[in-house]
Amino acid sequence: MIIVVFITTASFTFLQNKPWAVPDAAAKKANPVKADATSNAAGKVLWGQHCASCHGKAGLGDGSKAAQLETTPPDFSKAIVQGQSDGALFFKTSEGRGDMPSFKKKIPDQEDIWNLVNYMRSFKK
Amino acid sequence: MKKAINYTPMIRLIRLPLLMLVFVLAVNELIAQDSTQATAPVIKKKSYVKNTFDGNYIIDNQTVMVPIKGTFEFDIQHRFGTIEHGWKDLAGLFASANMLLGFSYVPIKDLQLGFGATNDRMQVDGNLKYALFKQTKNNKMPLSVTLFANTVMDTRAKSSSLPIINLQDRMSFFSQLIIARKINEKISLQVGPSLSYFNNVEAYYVENKVIQAKTNNAHLAISAAGKFKLTEGLSLIANYDQPITQHPMNNPNPNISLGLDMKTSGHDFQIFVGNYGYILPQNNNVYNHNDFTKSQFLIGFNISRLWNF
Repeated sequence: MIIVVFITTASFTFLQNKPWAVPDAAAKKANPVKADATSNAAGKVLWGQHCASCHGKAGLGDGSKAAQLETTPPDFSKAIVQGQSDGALFFKTSEGRGDMPSFKKKIPDQEDIWNLVNYMRSFKK
Repeated sequence: MKKAINYTPMIRLIRLPLLMLVFVLAVNELIAQDSTQATAPVIKKKSYVKNTFDGNYIIDNQTVMVPIKGTFEFDIQHRFGTIEHGWKDLAGLFASANMLLGFSYVPIKDLQLGFGATNDRMQVDGNLKYALFKQTKNNKMPLSVTLFANTVMDTRAKSSSLPIINLQDRMSFFSQLIIARKINEKISLQVGPSLSYFNNVEAYYVENKVIQAKTNNAHLAISAAGKFKLTEGLSLIANYDQPITQHPMNNPNPNISLGLDMKTSGHDFQIFVGNYGYILPQNNNVYNHNDFTKSQFLIGFNISRLWNF
């Protein structure tokens, strides 16, 4: 029993600490949606509905469900997130991994995920 | 000799709905073609207005919204007793309540199919909802229009006290055309003319053994509802239902309701106060005798859990 718990925990920890590799093609994908007020407003609505409960209202990783997660959500105002390409943020939002769910079915319109990416840029300090 | 079947009345019966369906599909095709011409290679330039309402329900009515394809929804709805007795039954919370458990799925784009069961007269329902038109961001289509229809069956066992003889006596139907517009990011409004139909209505004998129905089989009504977004996840919701048909007796009362809607990624919660004590729409529209002028309000809630497959 102890061995099973150890293996499960260790493998999960390994998965969560493993760098999240984004395929080159996805990382280099250009953002086709202009980051204007309309896009930001649409992104803000989606952020409030799908993301804020874990990532926090301002993307600081302090959402109401953050404490229950195995993976601490990163601070979106810092370079660890802002240093990533739009394509990488689109890929991660769309595909998900571990605690982070995939949103490609819940947000089926690609334009909306790009709107979310544009809104994520507003967290940069 | 085998008698020839006359199909003419059947053709006449289905001709109008078929023509309407062809018209709707043709208009949708024209809109779709227009959108194709205006699209860029990656992102559609023309798209539909989103989040007119936060879910399938606005208090006692369906909203114009049909969830995205592949959405499975589980609904829990509850209506407590009226608040008029105050502390005696804790504003109706300790009184008898009506509940409904429902499931729905969107197998193809813009079409939802559902099933539900309620403790009120042990009724089960099957329903469908189809988005005929959707408001576009470029305002070429200024309104969203959705059709909702259900069939309800009273499944109580036969007894001498119930006027149920045949299967058709158990059936009732409801259909509603829902017309909505998202005015701006904060305000959305909708109206919904509806037709309720009960195969079996109460009646009594008058002189000369003539049977007098207490209510008509068919009942027309109209609802108006609105949402005012307070924050990204919280909205104020209101709903009003007005009976139109005048019956020989037992005319139903209108319904006024007001509540809060809380939306998350996978849930939609609504808590409200209103006059409607049933949950299935034809029961509310035809049999509501709670009167807002006599403060016969009750507390209710709707919970929806959504999964995407």
